[in-house]
Amino acid sequence: MSKLRQHADDASTFAMSRRGFLIGAAGAGLMLAFARNGLAATDPDKTIAEGAYEPNLWCRIAPDETITVNIIRAEMGQHVGTALARILADELEADWDHVRIEHVDSDPKWGTMVTGGSWSVWQSFTPLSQAGAAARTALIAEGARLLGVAASACTARASVVSAGAKSISYADIVRRGKLSRSYSADELKAMPVKPPDQRRLVGHDTQAIDIPDKTDGKALYGIDASVEGMVHARPVIPPTRNGSNVVSVDDSAAKQVMGYLGHLVLDDPSGTVPGWVMVFADSFDAANRAVERVKVEWTNDDTVGISEKDILDHGAELIADASTGAMVFNDEGVDAAFASADSTLEQTYTTASVLHFALEPINALAFEKDGIWEIHTGNQWQTLILPVLAKALGVDESKIVMRTYRLGGGFGRRLNGDYAVPAALAAKALGKPVKMVCTRADDVHFDSIRSPSIQRVRMAFDKEGKVTAMQHDAAAGWPTQVMVPSFMPKGLNDQPYDPFSISGADSWYTVGAQRVRAISNDMANRAFRPGWLRSVGPGWTNWASECFFDEAAHKLGVDPVAFRLRLLDATGRNAGSAPNAVGGASRQAAVVRRLAEKTSWGKLALAADTGVGFATTFGQERGMPTWIACVAQVHVDRSTGMVRLQKLTLVVDAGTIVHPDGALAQIEGGALWGASMALHEGTTFLNGQVKDSNLDTYTPMRMADVPEIDIEFLPSTETAVGLGEPATTVVGPAIGNAIFAAVGARLRHIPIRPADVLAALKSSAKA
Amino acid sequence: MFKRVILFLLALIVVGIAGVFVLAWHPSYEPIEPPAAASFDAGQVQRGEMLASAGYCATCHTAKGGARNAGGYPLKTGFGTIHSTNITPDPATGIGTWSEAAFARAMREGIARDGSELYPAFPFDHFTRLSDEDVAALYAYLMSQAAVSAPAKDNKLPFPLNIRALQAGWKLLFLDQGRFEPVAGKSEEWNRGAYLAEGLGHCGACHTPRNALGAEKSGEHVYAGAFIDGWTAPALNAAQAAPLAWNADELFGFLRRGGTALHGVAAGPMSEVVHEGLSALPDSDIHALATYFAEVNGSDARSAESNARLATLVESGAPDPRARYDEGADLYRSACAACHYNSAHPPALLRPELALNSALSEAVPTNFIRVVLHGVGIGEGIPGAMMPPFDRALSDPEIAAIAAYLRDTMTDKPAWTDLSTRIAAVRQGGSGS
Amino acid sequence: MTTLKLNGRDVSFDVDPETPLLWVIRDQLGLTGTKFGCGIGMCGACTVHLNGRAVRSCILPAAAADGAAITTIEGLDPNGQHPLQQAWIETQAPQCGYCQSGQIMQAATLLQDFPQPTDKDIDSVMNGNLCRCMAYRRIRAAIKLAATRMGEEAGHE
Ligand code: FES
Ligand code: FES
Repeated sequence: MSKLRQHADDASTFAMSRRGFLIGAAGAGLMLAFARNGLAATDPDKTIAEGAYEPNLWCRIAPDETITVNIIRAEMGQHVGTALARILADELEADWDHVRIEHVDSDPKWGTMVTGGSWSVWQSFTPLSQAGAAARTALIAEGARLLGVAASACTARASVVSAGAKSISYADIVRRGKLSRSYSADELKAMPVKPPDQRRLVGHDTQAIDIPDKTDGKALYGIDASVEGMVHARPVIPPTRNGSNVVSVDDSAAKQVMGYLGHLVLDDPSGTVPGWVMVFADSFDAANRAVERVKVEWTNDDTVGISEKDILDHGAELIADASTGAMVFNDEGVDAAFASADSTLEQTYTTASVLHFALEPINALAFEKDGIWEIHTGNQWQTLILPVLAKALGVDESKIVMRTYRLGGGFGRRLNGDYAVPAALAAKALGKPVKMVCTRADDVHFDSIRSPSIQRVRMAFDKEGKVTAMQHDAAAGWPTQVMVPSFMPKGLNDQPYDPFSISGADSWYTVGAQRVRAISNDMANRAFRPGWLRSVGPGWTNWASECFFDEAAHKLGVDPVAFRLRLLDATGRNAGSAPNAVGGASRQAAVVRRLAEKTSWGKLALAADTGVGFATTFGQERGMPTWIACVAQVHVDRSTGMVRLQKLTLVVDAGTIVHPDGALAQIEGGALWGASMALHEGTTFLNGQVKDSNLDTYTPMRMADVPEIDIEFLPSTETAVGLGEPATTVVGPAIGNAIFAAVGARLRHIPIRPADVLAALKSSAKA
Repeated sequence: MFKRVILFLLALIVVGIAGVFVLAWHPSYEPIEPPAAASFDAGQVQRGEMLASAGYCATCHTAKGGARNAGGYPLKTGFGTIHSTNITPDPATGIGTWSEAAFARAMREGIARDGSELYPAFPFDHFTRLSDEDVAALYAYLMSQAAVSAPAKDNKLPFPLNIRALQAGWKLLFLDQGRFEPVAGKSEEWNRGAYLAEGLGHCGACHTPRNALGAEKSGEHVYAGAFIDGWTAPALNAAQAAPLAWNADELFGFLRRGGTALHGVAAGPMSEVVHEGLSALPDSDIHALATYFAEVNGSDARSAESNARLATLVESGAPDPRARYDEGADLYRSACAACHYNSAHPPALLRPELALNSALSEAVPTNFIRVVLHGVGIGEGIPGAMMPPFDRALSDPEIAAIAAYLRDTMTDKPAWTDLSTRIAAVRQGGSGS
Repeated sequence: MTTLKLNGRDVSFDVDPETPLLWVIRDQLGLTGTKFGCGIGMCGACTVHLNGRAVRSCILPAAAADGAAITTIEGLDPNGQHPLQQAWIETQAPQCGYCQSGQIMQAATLLQDFPQPTDKDIDSVMNGNLCRCMAYRRIRAAIKLAATRMGEEAGHE
């Protein structure tokens, strides 16, 4: 992320980048203007009462004591509003019982709106703390004046300013005071915040604000959006993502469907949805049935013939060619170390295509009202899709607003807002509101899947078994290259690369001369639109590297945990740096040690064909490491190859934890996602499309598959980092290593199917 | 020589046909003025209504969406389609001009008022067993309904089956006329059950296989199970495939409520039998039927074995939910187990236990496939439980995988063959047999 | 014309015989708490009660529900205070929440049939309800909590 931000700042080609990611960079929007101007600029209707103060962009205090915190991040299950509001409210010394959250619509004043990369809390912690602190300072100053005491004599707690026996509530200050103080962006940045030991909300548990509405059917998701007079639409998805053109449409059979209104071949200036046909009806059900009866003929480019094997074979060729890719690390002496090594180890790892399969299928409602285009849908990266929508609609970005809804699952799918484009184009063509809902199969066929990947990992050892060099090459489809090329930093060889597709390979292990090479699989990029999927690259790079470290340890005859601890020596670039990676690899070593201790590593007596495997990662990226380690316990049925995941134990250091129970939920979900991708899901790209399109053949983890889980957070007051994805990265390799420990079968591909286990058992018996 | 043989044979056939036509000549009964409804005793009419229900008159004599008993329902037989006739008292198109004697002759001998032959799709081979009193009550009820004008629909029968007179030959071969005679040494309840089953209920019409000429087979074939309307009517004799014996209690529960925890629910035509037919009869009659069939199937002899099996079967019916060793297992645990899983003995009535379900144990998967494809409606089976249709949700190979998995894990029967083909056939409206 | 008792209220509508009940509930009758996830009866997001028992509304033709009493998440409890809903909040079970209406409706039938469910009971009955956020651990905990509460309450009566 830090890389991404840096790069974004000088990427003038990308329209939104100058706003930067950090709220602090948003300039004027951050001025604290305390004026009795009353209503919130965001949505006057929702303002609790006339006379509410909006001390800054992020909160407002109403005379009835209600404090509303504006949330620009998407709510997709991480209870992000609760966490962010806690941060601001803590500094504001607000009474939590009176804090409300408001998920806001898109507006340039918010700066960049993106919810992904496990960044939300990490990005917002300091600016929201400072916004809360500034508001508190102003309220204390005005409260002191009203009380007739010195501000220095006052303290604030639970929305009350007091000095000795005198006190006045924030609400009263709002009602009676004259607040006019404003702060410059620099002043705000300099605003001191509380030391951790004085936090009253951050780090303490609470119930998430979004949850009650999710138990009684009140929560509104994009699919629930509606507007008077809307036409329902379902698309006919073309055979390929990028290379199909409509030749003809025959809707004669669809005309028998009651309520069928017609169809439209989309003409898309933004190039987002080539080859799309939209089918309209007066209800979704009718549109759905009409689509089944519409015959479309397309011409397709060569991608219609591409399969997973082609993509992986192409990746292997790219890896074999030393001239390809971007060097992320390329230390002096790598080749020499390999040339003079006493021994070496080299392995190739692959991962299959994975679907997002957010339970709410993609959808969007679009219409024009009073010259403004409204897009109603759940979305994770408004800032990314707004310029695309502007191009598609042929209007200025300022004429488009994205209304905010809950997301029935994001997992990175809704970072790519491409699904808003067809609804907008259709609404424009029809001159009517259009609500497009995709069926599950449509959603899958239009998914930005996690690219299949192929990786080669090599290590060189000297006579004593010391690691002297390591090289990690990873080839996959690159979402950032396809969707936001301007966000790609340049490697040491001046080649741009997708940081999200290689993160994880740039590990914190000290391995001698290290080379990390990121390779874009251009065939994948053409065949589909690669997506960011819960943890992106670390979901595959760690599968390779953490399985490889296990293999290396076994080759050396060393315990895999001891081997890792030896390499996590926190020297050189692995020493870490403030503010995000204080302590560096020593903190990763600490989670490894704690987990080994917690799980009695090496001392457990296990049943036959049962084994434990170890893995550790740093979550998302070096710029904001979440230190995490996992032990997986599995049982393998030698006759069927069935792997039963019995238990996952995880230790996490994510710095400051804002909302402990929410953090736990994120690690739980992330860990099970990791297990699901390792054992249960994964599809195959076949003839220009993924093979599986619904739950009959795509089989994510279900209730009965869930193992026992034990999660521990190491106490920390360091920078709060990410929680949504780190656990996803560490579970897969722990499972792979556990299978090896249980039955000696080494798996190098996920998902791990029973047949693969049987084959590996066979080959290990031969070896 | 050869020529002479042929001639002789031809002569025989001519004589035979002529004989049939002689046999087929029956006097016509004089049309009568339709009697006024009020001319019948109210109690008799009420009894007749109950009997009509238990004889499923309306099931066959009512077309989809048509007036009750006005006929026009297409009966698909192996020989062609026969349309049921109007049995309301309409003088022109119904039975308004039929005297009671004409009606009784039709019921007993399969001869219409005008003397023409009726097809044995009308089960006069069973109704012939009815007592005079019951025939009179049925007549009283039918004649007191509202008259509906509904002309008969043309039957779609190929030559020579479209020659009604030929039925006379059929009757000569297969019709065994005569009232029901109580069997000495059997209880009154048993005899009542036998009377209902063999006569009015005409259970054999569905549950006994038919010969090439469409007559119910006799001897060991009685109640041996048959195909009907795209369903399997399971065997009711000792050959029945249900994992647990159908004792009188189970039979009663099934016939009275439409399902039991130990056998499953009535679907398809049998659901109508229970809910639209037998529902009119008092509990005592249902007990009588249960008593009769419990003997027909010899369940007493199986009861010890059944009790022992119950324990193991429910266990096998509750597969390890973690099992996902094949596609069928995985689909079952995701699409079916939420409703069908049982953990304890006895299994819950509203959670049909597939390990005990006869559809899974039948030699052919027809009923299983039909239920998966089309579900079990609200009015079918047992009250309080229904099953949605999966015809648009699952593909043929997927249903085949589930069927194979269940057959393999929940029964001790050999695997069903050609599942996908059979499923495709049932989808097309066939029986998949 | 199809008639239902929807959350205790009589409703009638005209509908194509093929239209699944789900879309009638969501689009025609305007109750959006019931969700669409897969459309093939395999995710459980669309689970409602028909005459008191859980059923997947995405594959049930609305016409086949004629005359039935349908309960959706909105009608499970007049105040959203069903013991399951309370337990769901107490354990903070939902993540994105999209599957949760269906999970709760299915859990209600689970507890009817298995008032003190074992893990195997929960695994078997709830396995048809996919939670893509994988909040399974808390869903299990919430079910057990609700079972305990309901057991205690029944004991006190
Ligand atoms: S939407 Fe009905 S089960 Fe998935
Ligand atoms: S909470 Fe998101 S799908 Fe279950």
